[in-house]
Amino acid sequence: MSTLLPPPKEIAMMPVDWVEERSGAISFGKFMLFRNVPKDISWLQTLGSALITVFILQSTTGILLAMYYQPDPDTAWSTIQWITNDATLGWLVRGMHKWGSSIMVVLLFLHMGRTFLFGAYKYPREMTWITGAIIFILVMGMSFTGYLLVFDERAYWATIVGVNINGTAPILGPALSYILMVGPEISTYTLSRFYSLHMLVLPSAIGGLIFLHMLLVVRLGVTSPPWSRMQPTEDDV
Amino acid sequence: MPRLTARERREGYQREYAFQKRHGKPFFPNAVFHDTIVSLIVVALIMGLTILWYAQFGPVSADPTAERVGGLLGPAYEAKADPGVLGYHPQPDWYFFFLFELLRIFKTPQLLIVGTIIIPTIWMVLLIGWPFIDRNPDRRLSRRPIALAIGVMVPVVLLTLTFYGSKAPGVGGAASTEPGAAAFAGGACSTCHVLANAGTAGNVGPVLDDAKPDYATALKLITNGQGGMPSFKATYTEDEISCLAGYVATWSAAVGETPGPNADTAKETYPASCEKAGGLFTGTASSAAGP
Ligand code: HEC
Ligand code: HEM
Repeated sequence: MSTLLPPPKEIAMMPVDWVEERSGAISFGKFMLFRNVPKDISWLQTLGSALITVFILQSTTGILLAMYYQPDPDTAWSTIQWITNDATLGWLVRGMHKWGSSIMVVLLFLHMGRTFLFGAYKYPREMTWITGAIIFILVMGMSFTGYLLVFDERAYWATIVGVNINGTAPILGPALSYILMVGPEISTYTLSRFYSLHMLVLPSAIGGLIFLHMLLVVRLGVTSPPWSRMQPTEDDV
Repeated sequence: MPRLTARERREGYQREYAFQKRHGKPFFPNAVFHDTIVSLIVVALIMGLTILWYAQFGPVSADPTAERVGGLLGPAYEAKADPGVLGYHPQPDWYFFFLFELLRIFKTPQLLIVGTIIIPTIWMVLLIGWPFIDRNPDRRLSRRPIALAIGVMVPVVLLTLTFYGSKAPGVGGAASTEPGAAAFAGGACSTCHVLANAGTAGNVGPVLDDAKPDYATALKLITNGQGGMPSFKATYTEDEISCLAGYVATWSAAVGETPGPNADTAKETYPASCEKAGGLFTGTASSAAGP
């Protein structure tokens, strides 16, 4: 009997080998983990991965909030109230989403500052910077659309001001604020439009761009700090 | 050092980076270890802020004009949005303070667009296009004086604007303390009209600094409405409407402290009607006290 069965270790590896043979996922994972990075990378280069963490956190808490939130002028505010005061740990979920957004903006500025000071946007990493810059603008859009959703006094009036800012643009301005608000004033449609932008359109766009950003980072490798002493010598060429 | 061609520079970079990678260290566990620590710190920070916020906010008042409750980190939420509430001074979230402050700097109707559209657009173009603007191939800061200067200046400017933006008393009512200004800016009018003196930027109705209505016109429109302009007969008392009309007639197209061209038409009632209307309509200006 025993001769018919391979040793236990091989049995354990069978699903892994099965996946590897069909997808190459295992060797890809190994490549990702064990690819070399410059010896002297610094702590400042951890901010990007912290941003990924916060993005995952925002997505998770956002999905949880979406399970209870109703984007309707009559009930939006009460659902927020309910989440904050009555739902089990609702305050934690809402609070982490709220403060996570502020921390994300801070981290974006720091990460941008780091890549700027390192000159990391220079050849060949121009596209990494450009995808990052677009992410930055979209994240500001997330903040703007998210602000209205609480639908309290602050949210309402700040959004009016924000939409009016768009409205001052020549030619396109009034049309733009009309499109944003779905009419001349904030209504049910404004709220559902902002909600759809905030939870579907912008996060998907940001997620896709983060994927591109990471593709570029892995392909090009992270820079060593500009003060790096790791220079090739003549006989090393 | 001899000037290198662009191609030689790129090849130089490739050689250098290949060398650094060959003599580098594996991503796991070195970088992963650092990344994990920083991510954990960030998550702990977010949880800490949340707990502090939750521990300090008190019960929420149903009265929208009541003092904001909440501790160091602000309230859980404010009263439910009510378009009819007067005297609310909106503030954006802190990361839009810089934009908010730009609005206040360029608050005259002719310049408004500089703060709202032109500067932010230039910003975004510079941000996205930056790798093509900075053509200096060197990455060492000591060889990048211009980039270094910009890298220091941008945060300083942003932080300064953010600081002053956070001190601003809200877009509505920010600009003026004349009688009627707070009511105009805090009420529905601000949603639809640009009036520099009140610091409003609404865009549904005409720019009042251009329309320069006299008192009678303003009184008629506010009372009865016309076209896209709603009637406020049911919303405000007669004194309040007279006060708003007087305010608009007096301060449309005003230059600083000098009232606009139609100020005389409102002389009889303004600011007397505002005093009678009381509350938000009286204004907080006491020109005697000086700045
Ligand atoms: C929903 C948007 C809206 C609101 C709110 C609003 N207005 Fe108007 N307003 C308009 C429109 C549109 C017009 C142009 C009406 C027309 O001429 O057909 C107008 C015209 C006016 C005019 C006449 C300007 C001229 O052409 O000489 C005055 C004065 C005025 N509004 C004052 C006010 C005041 C004061 C308030 C606040 C109590 C206010 N408006 C609120 C939309 C609005
Ligand atoms: C959600 C937003 C973002 C995420 C998740 C993210 C993630 C990352 C990660 C993980 C890295 C690897 C190196 C490091 O951690 O420093 C990186 C590198 C980089 N990022 Fe971002 N980033 C974001 C936004 C931005 C923005 C706004 C910019 C600039 C406008 C930017 C520009 C760059 C550049 C140029 C690099 C290459 C750095 C190097 O090779 O040294 N990123 N990013």
